[in-house]
Amino acid sequence: MTLSNYEDELMRAYQNGEEEALEKLYLLFQKPLYAFVFRYSRDEQLSIEIVQDTFVKLQQNKHRFDPSRGRIKSYLFQIAYRLMVNRLNRRKKWRTLLPFLFPAMKEEMPHIERITVREAIAKLPDMQRAVILLYYYHDLSYEEIAEILSVPEGTVKSRLHRAIKNLKKELGGEDIERGSL
Amino acid sequence: MKEDPFKKEPFLCQRLDEYHVQVPDFTMESNRWERFISFLASPANNPLEALISTENGMMMIKIVPLVGATILAIIPLFIFF
Repeated sequence: MTLSNYEDELMRAYQNGEEEALEKLYLLFQKPLYAFVFRYSRDEQLSIEIVQDTFVKLQQNKHRFDPSRGRIKSYLFQIAYRLMVNRLNRRKKWRTLLPFLFPAMKEEMPHIERITVREAIAKLPDMQRAVILLYYYHDLSYEEIAEILSVPEGTVKSRLHRAIKNLKKELGGEDIERGSL
Repeated sequence: MKEDPFKKEPFLCQRLDEYHVQVPDFTMESNRWERFISFLASPANNPLEALISTENGMMMIKIVPLVGATILAIIPLFIFF
């Protein structure tokens, strides 16, 4: 049984009333969902809250999931993405209204190379960032990403190509030149 | 057929692979109280920072409470006399 089938089997079991299956789904998806939200927002507390809220939503709407329409993985990423975008938009509004109440971004200082990659990803426009994170780090197909972001598949492809171009400009070009010296 | 655009970008892949995320331990159940506490504990911008950095601003911070307290003390005089 492939991992994807196993995940869908777990969801089916959960829909049939097996509470243990939910725990297993959480163990499987906690890390990838957290990594996606963290890479997108760079906010640890927000990432934790979004992962928890995603599973609350899953429990509330467990019978709405239809395996014939897609994998549980893309369903969970879709919930997480929507929750995250809503929260970030709400934050933006509050930040404009009451800038002094807004928590300052906490920056950890990891390896210098990683900062560059992080910053290059953070510099990407929101939609390009979401596409590249879902495609590269979470191995989702164009079709699944299109469903998660609610955009046509062609848009996903073009955004991915633009994101790659932008990232190469930020990360690739200079280093290749340096490497060739 | 799906063509992987990263196939031709080994260097970009190498750089992207450097971005690891450390996932903290947290449970599936969310706790509103804990969220509120972590919101309060999160570092926030100082609303008086712009005033602290200038001399006039510092004077303002000292004078405004004094003037406010004086006005509050005077108000009863107008009410009772």
